[in-house]
Amino acid sequence: MSSDLKRLLESALPPDAEWASLRRVRTEGRGYQAKDGQFEEAFDYVDEGYMVEVLHEGQFGYAALASAEPAALKAAAEKALRLARAAAPRTIHPFGLEVRPATVARYDTPRKLRAAFGADLLSRQAIQLTKAMQISGKIVQAAAGIDARDIEMELVSTSGASLEQHLHILGYEVQAIARDGAVTQRRSANGPRGRNNQGGWEFLDIAGGEAEARRIAEQALELLSAPECPSMTADLVLAPDQMMLQIHESVGHPLELDRILGDERNFAGSTFVKLEDIGTLQYGSELMNITFDPTLPTEAASYGADDIGNPARKEFLVKNGLLVRALGSLESQRRSDKPGVANQRAQDWFRAPIDRMANLNLEPGKDRFEDIIASIERGVFMEANRSWSIDDYRNKFQFGCEYARLIEDGKLAGTVRNPNYRGVSSRFWRSLFKVGDASSFGIFGTPNCGKGEPNQVITTGHASPVCAFRDVEIFGGEA
Amino acid sequence: MSALRNMEARFDQACGLLFGELLPGEALTLDFAGESSEFMRFNEGKVRQIGHMDRATVQIKYFRDGRTLSSAFETTGDEDQDAEFAAAALSRARREAPLLPVDPYQTLPACSDTSREVFQGRLPEADRIPDEILGPGEAIAKAGADFVGLHAQGLVCRGAASSAGARHWFATETFASDHSTYLPNGKAVKSGYAGREWDAREYTRRLATTISRLEALARPEKVIPPGKYRVYIAPDALNEVVPFFSWNGLGERGLREGESSWIALRDGRKSLSPRFRLDQDFGLGLEPRFNDLGEVAPRLLPLIEAGRLANTLVSARSAKKYGLASNAAPAGEEVRSPSIGAGDLDEDKALELVGTGLYLSNLHYLNWSDNDSGRITGMTRFACFWVEDGRIVSPIKDMRFDESIYHLFGDKLAGLTRQRTLVPETSTYGHRALGGALLPGILVEDFAFTL
Repeated sequence: MSSDLKRLLESALPPDAEWASLRRVRTEGRGYQAKDGQFEEAFDYVDEGYMVEVLHEGQFGYAALASAEPAALKAAAEKALRLARAAAPRTIHPFGLEVRPATVARYDTPRKLRAAFGADLLSRQAIQLTKAMQISGKIVQAAAGIDARDIEMELVSTSGASLEQHLHILGYEVQAIARDGAVTQRRSANGPRGRNNQGGWEFLDIAGGEAEARRIAEQALELLSAPECPSMTADLVLAPDQMMLQIHESVGHPLELDRILGDERNFAGSTFVKLEDIGTLQYGSELMNITFDPTLPTEAASYGADDIGNPARKEFLVKNGLLVRALGSLESQRRSDKPGVANQRAQDWFRAPIDRMANLNLEPGKDRFEDIIASIERGVFMEANRSWSIDDYRNKFQFGCEYARLIEDGKLAGTVRNPNYRGVSSRFWRSLFKVGDASSFGIFGTPNCGKGEPNQVITTGHASPVCAFRDVEIFGGEA
Repeated sequence: MSALRNMEARFDQACGLLFGELLPGEALTLDFAGESSEFMRFNEGKVRQIGHMDRATVQIKYFRDGRTLSSAFETTGDEDQDAEFAAAALSRARREAPLLPVDPYQTLPACSDTSREVFQGRLPEADRIPDEILGPGEAIAKAGADFVGLHAQGLVCRGAASSAGARHWFATETFASDHSTYLPNGKAVKSGYAGREWDAREYTRRLATTISRLEALARPEKVIPPGKYRVYIAPDALNEVVPFFSWNGLGERGLREGESSWIALRDGRKSLSPRFRLDQDFGLGLEPRFNDLGEVAPRLLPLIEAGRLANTLVSARSAKKYGLASNAAPAGEEVRSPSIGAGDLDEDKALELVGTGLYLSNLHYLNWSDNDSGRITGMTRFACFWVEDGRIVSPIKDMRFDESIYHLFGDKLAGLTRQRTLVPETSTYGHRALGGALLPGILVEDFAFTL
């Protein structure tokens, strides 16, 4: 395939271009949704297009189009060059080819079950999952969805890059909403769109799915009569499906190097982290070890190289609580003279790659879940994200969860509803006092991380064990 | 061929092929979203990224024997290639649909309305964008500030058609320069310039206004302790709350299925201020009235009148499911072209009206924090000020709020301004968005800040 792409690039190349690349992305996706025991929706799509990028006097210019016609690609390359030429006198940084490595690589998502399940099986399964949740008249919504994406990405450049990647991502959603009078409660499989993994069809648990769906509905009903989460300052234990959000918002985004450099200030926001903090800031307690790891096979944002061809490697961002590296691509590394990672990623063929999270994980510690609970006199154990908000410097956050249980005298006690907590990022991470061992390690991912101008959504993965934080402001809903 | 003619030709070709090949017993709707855009991203008053994008997506919904399947593909502008893609999508639909269960709430296309609206604009030449935007922006650097943002411009198109005969086309050439001006102390003014007719002098005038607003931001920051304050929420800030009429909002499906945070309003357990009115108002002229099924919504749909729910948003699917009349809401039942009714306060006297409290120009990252009570949490952002005796004293350190919509638009709503501002939609997820909102400023008592 890349030989075809090379020919297309050669035929499109403007004679006076210093350098050019051509990136092709093709995504085939499909999904099946059911609600309340009945079929709701089926969709499929084929999204294929090209981005040609040129370099002129230190400034990149791009043009994106769906056509592979040589004349159209040639016109696009000329347009990209004209824009680069117009912008070069005002460039923010004169880039060179050191930010466009000539990587030759291939990556395929490891899969056990490669043969796709059919529309009949998947739609039936979605219906069955919703039927399993219809255990009471108080269940006012029982919804399930299954989706799959096959993504082909190829990149070639005039300097010799040749990259070919095939990613297979499965998404799974199960949700029950229960209502009794003025009280409405939602419970889902690991929070909204929290269950996305790379892999084959082995991730779809046909046999066990209905039992999980029934448990979700039972917990939604349980929440209806549960008391409000008390307002108090106490120890907070977070399950991996909430740690996903905690890591994403209060570690991932603050450490994006393009935020530190100010690129995102007009839209997604800035960060409290400064360039001089890299290598010096004690971000969290000594138990905090955060890695950027696009090499973990089943995690949603694994790849062989990023979208400009920088080979993927696992790197520590926070080691024993110390900030040692930021989430910066080769371009941001060049601009800041700071170490970074292979994270220059684009949503699709029609967006230019920028600094993104990929898989961002909290490495396991030594404590068993039972021992973490046993160590706490008074606290709350929260699961599955429900609400998220953080300021534009990534400091003051407020997060809510679907389901929680009180911890009293070292034991899990009663269920409470509307659990929320708030805090300030680095202060919060410095209060981390227990990190679960590998037995509580959960791997999750979300397909809808938003950032960038023009806006982009992208898939990220987050894995973590259960963690415990000291003296957190916890509260419930309005009575 | 111009970009406009090229896009309409793609739409026409897709309609011709797909409706032309339908067999007896088959029905189809076709939804088209296209654009030909330039984007320039800038930081420190310099170009960060610049490029062009040409994209046009066709989404079809195929109906046969009680089964429904949606299928989407990209068009290229090449007739032969696009004919292949369209045929492939229809083939997939014919192959897959028989495998699906019957859709009990299938709503076959029935409308046969047609419309065509084209708005040509006057935009800067693409090659001139860096100088046109960043040249005048040099005045910001001279004022000791930093200029960061996005300039987007070009053609945006929407089309919808159905096998029942509906056929709608909407195309507009627009620009949106969306930027922030940062002082070294980290305080910033958010501003923008959007429209169809680019006027370099107007752009320069707006930048000068931005610069004039920096003086107050240069003052020492005031840290406000958590508590309840009297606040003025300017239209740009109120615009951050507008999505909450859609997300867990006023759609019939969400109200029935427990997703909505407005259930208490629906049930009559809570009400809003008699001063509060919300309409869906296509008279704003920012986006087409047709939806993805080719149905045309009423020009004006009152949603909340005198603080009580007047109408919900009802899609064709909800209409069938719940036995209601559709008001041509899109499948997601979100509010389009929202308009909040004017009040009797004078915008120019906003500071006097606050007296002692806060002036909020922008809000950030809002989310529901408690559905049942309609609570929303979020942050202050950009130029927000502490006000004493009707005068700006100092910018504030950003604060988190957590407040119920039933207070914000209900018992704590002290008034709305007579003047309203048209706030354009500038988001660019997937495609450049159309639309916007017509909003007053609002004065609120005892607004709750928590962190």
